[in-house]
Amino acid sequence: MTEFLATLPGGLVTGAVYALLAMGLVFIYKATRVPNFAYGALAALVAFFHYSLVNGRHVGIHLNLLFIHTGFDATVRLPFWGAMPVSLAFAAVMGYLIERFVMRPFARAPMVTNIIVTLALSALFSALAQQWFGGNDLIVPNEQAIFPRTSALSIGGVKMSWEQLGVIGLVLAFAAGLYLFFRFTETGLALRAVATDRDVASLQGVSVRRVSQVAWIAGSMAAGIAGIMLASLIVSSNPSLLVLLSIWGFAGAIVGGMTSFPISVGSGFTIGIVVEVARHYVSRADATKFVGLPETVALGAVIAILAFRPPWIFKGIREEQDSGVVSRASGVDLRIGRWIDPVEAYRLMRGAMGQVIPARAWSVIKRILLWLLVAVALTFPLFPLPEFWTFPLNLTLIFLLVGLSFVVVIGWLGQISVATGAFVAIGGAGAYIGANFLHLPFPLPIVTGILLSIPVSVLIGLPALRLRGLHLVITTLLYGLVVERALLPRFTAASVFHRPTFLSSDRVLYYVFLVCTALAFAFAWRLNKTRMGRAFRAIRDSETVASAYGIQPVRTKLTGFAVSGAIGALGGTMLIYQLGSFQAQYGTVGFSIGWMLNTVVGGITSIFGPVISAIVFGLLPAVSQGAVQAAHISFWPQVVAAVIIIVLMAINPEGLASFGRFLRTRVSAHDVEDEEDLEAIEAAAKELVNV
Amino acid sequence: MSDTILSIKEVKLAFGGVQALDGVTFDVPRGEIVGLIGPNGAGKTTLFDCISGYQRPDSGSITYFENSGTVELIGLPPHERVTHGIGRLFQQARMFPSVSIRDVLRTVQHRRMKVGLFRSVLGIAGASAEERDVTQRADEALELVGLSAHADKPAMELSTGMLRLCELAAIVAVRPRLLLLDEPSSGIAQKETEALLPLLKRLRDHLDATVLVIEHDMPLVMGLADRIVAMAQGKVLTEGPSAKVQSHPDVLASYLGTRAAK
Repeated sequence: MTEFLATLPGGLVTGAVYALLAMGLVFIYKATRVPNFAYGALAALVAFFHYSLVNGRHVGIHLNLLFIHTGFDATVRLPFWGAMPVSLAFAAVMGYLIERFVMRPFARAPMVTNIIVTLALSALFSALAQQWFGGNDLIVPNEQAIFPRTSALSIGGVKMSWEQLGVIGLVLAFAAGLYLFFRFTETGLALRAVATDRDVASLQGVSVRRVSQVAWIAGSMAAGIAGIMLASLIVSSNPSLLVLLSIWGFAGAIVGGMTSFPISVGSGFTIGIVVEVARHYVSRADATKFVGLPETVALGAVIAILAFRPPWIFKGIREEQDSGVVSRASGVDLRIGRWIDPVEAYRLMRGAMGQVIPARAWSVIKRILLWLLVAVALTFPLFPLPEFWTFPLNLTLIFLLVGLSFVVVIGWLGQISVATGAFVAIGGAGAYIGANFLHLPFPLPIVTGILLSIPVSVLIGLPALRLRGLHLVITTLLYGLVVERALLPRFTAASVFHRPTFLSSDRVLYYVFLVCTALAFAFAWRLNKTRMGRAFRAIRDSETVASAYGIQPVRTKLTGFAVSGAIGALGGTMLIYQLGSFQAQYGTVGFSIGWMLNTVVGGITSIFGPVISAIVFGLLPAVSQGAVQAAHISFWPQVVAAVIIIVLMAINPEGLASFGRFLRTRVSAHDVEDEEDLEAIEAAAKELVNV
Repeated sequence: MSDTILSIKEVKLAFGGVQALDGVTFDVPRGEIVGLIGPNGAGKTTLFDCISGYQRPDSGSITYFENSGTVELIGLPPHERVTHGIGRLFQQARMFPSVSIRDVLRTVQHRRMKVGLFRSVLGIAGASAEERDVTQRADEALELVGLSAHADKPAMELSTGMLRLCELAAIVAVRPRLLLLDEPSSGIAQKETEALLPLLKRLRDHLDATVLVIEHDMPLVMGLADRIVAMAQGKVLTEGPSAKVQSHPDVLASYLGTRAAK
């Protein structure tokens, strides 16, 4: 009992930080309906900013005009609490900038757009944090902790440090402040009005814009405080770890339906306590054997709560239509690829140019391009290229499969899942089991990798039967987190995977990979044209209508998840053949999100999308970095992808749903009647959302 | 063999405090067109949702008489009901917006296709023949409603009227035994509504199906339906042959209230 009590403070304090994150997320969501997936990355960015001020940051400004050569060099070093206002101001400015320049154009965009834009921001912030503050881990020594780490009190064997007490106190103070703000200030009232009904609130003279500005600034400051506290509490951290931990804040918020402060705070605390207490007992029993178990338990609990929505938790919580529990009218929202898919773009342009190139010529051109691609792919290793080309080339084939996995599950099936990284890891694990434990000859380990993925994808697909949109993204993020914490640590440097001798050359391996990739693409291409592919699109566009025509939602979704997972796992088996051991960086949540975004840029509904994204974001950066650095994934492509996504989406204020129409109204000279018809359909779709 | 295809008995469903369906009971005779009328909030669409499986009644029974036997519908998921031959059109013309309408018509034949995933991907063991068959049927259905010229357009680019036609083509391709139509005239122009009457009758004859139709357009429903069931506040007000129901005082009072008052 004493032992249990002794673990409580640690859980309580972790839970407090999750609760704070959850509060900030709910705050922003209530005011703006944006699920802020950039929250953890923003917290990390502010934390790194803060500690670089505390550690001393070099600031240099140099001015070189014609006659004036002046420079300013200084090292800024501030005490912890002296740096605090600066860091909070930085967080506030970031919040303002995000609201003003990124999110405002998306005020009326569909949920899917908001998810993708904030995920892009998340990739941007964590890449920036790594860029500015170096790739090193942030270590917070005792004298830089937020509160002294000395023991504050000890009651019956339960010890708490000033740091733990202070963090809990700060979070409770924040919660109290939030309560008072909502209860007694005019802005708080306006925010509640907007949270209830944006349109009605704005008709009553509430400035929705101002409310969302306040929410973004305050929410970002809360993220900053949470990030600084988290960095101090866990002593040694890096941006991706902070992003990962913030997913628990999201889990807390989503259990509270993204709207209830008390339940979000309560579940934040509960998750923290459960994970920390379980971690204590696990590490006492056998830390390596049960690594990741606490996270797995917490994940199971969160998914169960989301899937069954027990009334004793959800009593009195209004079910948010947007939260994904109730599906939106259709998957029109998901026509993501249309405007970046070159084939579609050409189709639109062709309408505008009065068919300069006749359809028959285009199909010939397409065929020539395809064969050219095939010819280049077949002969690439025969080119007189430097040796360092072979590794990026092989990796590109793996990235092709990662992209295809996203195309199947997001672009075709319409389920926003970011679990592909987990499948890559699972495929690697399956091949490892097949080769090292079952001693299967090549190519059977590839088969074991794919087979292992199938039960896992059913497991991941199961929540998708009840959850949609936002809930599904968060659930798959949690799955990714569990794989990252429970599976990846089991791949140690010692777990060497031996390639058969006849595959020792990367050039030979390239052809093996090429065959695997080609088979996967051929499978997907055929699938898309047949019965199951059509059922995928029907489910994506409207589950209700699909079932009215006899398509089984459960079976179709599970098939889609299984196909997507198997393709990802195939990539994973290839990866372990290539690397000789599994490298954790390829199975992480960050990897998944990054490649999902890359695939969106390439075109997520098209089978050609992954080809574009793998070449642009996989091959080119790796080759340009040369042989040595090619081994690690650069974050610059992520930055580029993030910026492209945000900019492209901002071009059309109405968001993705109407981008096809947007292009057509701009590009093509079409008659008015068409426009009216489209209006009518839009109106009907809106009506459906309301019914 | 019974003359009834669908028997609805004492169906009740409450949403919170609102009794949306309050003991609805009526039979649908095989082969007839039955019109379901009533003011807004009478529970017509809710009843449709119960028949097609999107809502589960609190109590009561909905029995469906197939040629081969009887099926209790309550508890069956919507997609299972399709295999028993129940088809449903929604109030707003809804299809799969991003899919070309030829593909829409291939998609709706999902349940007619037998070939599994791997065989269809490989195109072996009758998969190609089945695919050709489905495509042919889709094209025939499109031709029947006059949409062949638009076969490659995505559904979102069609007007509401054309979407209605596309839905009817889907019905032709699927061949349900019992067809639920929720306000076929909603969202389309008066001129098109007039064209709808002969089209729906032709469709019924073509399919030899039973039709249950919700409709607000009185001339349309009176011209179309053999029988009328009038509902109000979750209850069946009266039922019978169209002409009789039309002049029933309760119907006039509740449905055409203002005119009756004059």
